[in-house]
Amino acid sequence: MSRVELLEADQAPFGTRPFFPAEGAASPIVGALAQVPELLEVAMPFIAVVFGPSSVDLRTKEIVVLRVSAKLGCRYCVQSHTVAAWDAGLSVQETRGLCGEPLTMGEREDALVAWCDAFCAAPEPVPRALTARLREHLSEHELVELALLAGATAMLNRFCTSLELPTGASTLARLETEGVAA
Amino acid sequence: MSVGDTLRAAIAAGQVGDRLWLYSNYHCNLRCVYCLTESAPGVARRLLAADEMVAAADEAVALGFRSLGVTGGEPFVVAEMPEVAAQLARRLPLIVLTNATLFTPRLLARLRPLADLPVTLQISLDSADPDVNDELRSPKNFAKVVDAIPRLVEMGIPVRVATTGDHNSAEEMERLCALHRRLGVPDEEHVVRPVVRRGRASENDMGVVAAAKDLHPELTLTADGAFWSPFAPTVRGGRLDLDLLVSRTRLPLERPTGALLRLSAANPEGTDTSLNIR
Repeated sequence: MSRVELLEADQAPFGTRPFFPAEGAASPIVGALAQVPELLEVAMPFIAVVFGPSSVDLRTKEIVVLRVSAKLGCRYCVQSHTVAAWDAGLSVQETRGLCGEPLTMGEREDALVAWCDAFCAAPEPVPRALTARLREHLSEHELVELALLAGATAMLNRFCTSLELPTGASTLARLETEGVAA
Repeated sequence: MSVGDTLRAAIAAGQVGDRLWLYSNYHCNLRCVYCLTESAPGVARRLLAADEMVAAADEAVALGFRSLGVTGGEPFVVAEMPEVAAQLARRLPLIVLTNATLFTPRLLARLRPLADLPVTLQISLDSADPDVNDELRSPKNFAKVVDAIPRLVEMGIPVRVATTGDHNSAEEMERLCALHRRLGVPDEEHVVRPVVRRGRASENDMGVVAAAKDLHPELTLTADGAFWSPFAPTVRGGRLDLDLLVSRTRLPLERPTGALLRLSAANPEGTDTSLNIR
């Protein structure tokens, strides 16, 4: 499926091996970036910090990642982060909504979804009113963090879609178990 | 500490090699059975542009590399190689690895300026027996090499003879040494190295397995990126091996140099690699 070769650990530059799991398949993002080790070694720590545990709770972050990925039409990121969102506490109904017509999830998260939609809609700044609405629930540094998260998500959406990276087997299995179309 | 300062310290400590290698190209007029890069006529050329080689040499001087090496493929199938070699040798002492089978009188005349520069030509010769040598390297290779070496020596261009493989018995090796001495190459300019089990050698079930820890780190630039050692950017089944790729970025040279230094930092000071493959 992928438009580029995804390197396995034994083919990859030896300096990139720490980014491969001891067992099982590596993320296709790692497999692709291993072709350019100097990018892998800066991109993966960046991704780990931006997408991983931070001052903003994981549920909030996964709402941003899944909504942006759905709006920008990245199959790989939608599938992978649907599962990640479940692990962060979202329900199957909530993730379905984030990929289509969102459910009402409370004012804070509704404001967040509206902000994500504006982020994806146009190259202009997010309207002041939507930013102000979100700021009623988030501090300024949290807004900065989520803006970077949304931007990094958009970057990876384009990366994964352009290269047609394949979704992992375990992710597809969980989607099937929950009856979510792959 | 700058990359240059770190490099100079690492060279002094024996942590990395002091030579910057340049793969000028991957194609070759021969098809040796143990070739690491599956070089032959008609393969992908993967040329490193002449101006980039010279730019890399300039940066190598600034960073603290002490010497340069050009290899391939056969460097002298690249039309401008005599002049490029001269430009490189005006910057740092240079060794060029060649099969010495293309040294026509016309090409030798173009090599003449190298006699006044710090240039050594390393020429492969695997046996004193022409048949054994030519079976490993290519038909008529032996005759061309024993013709070329004295001409180069006479021109004042230092020659080193490289023997690849462990096929020579003690008696055969003595005959080979007698031969290179007769050709004008002293014992200290004869190196014997193992076949490394990569590239065509691997396809032919030859040689010793070499991982990063077995290869002394010597920054090596190719058209495909920067590698751990000149034994690293190998080709098998037409596919470039990436296991010893350091970075895709070649220039500025500081970038791949920094990457090599980071990767080699795990080598204890002063220790050499287990196979001593040079």
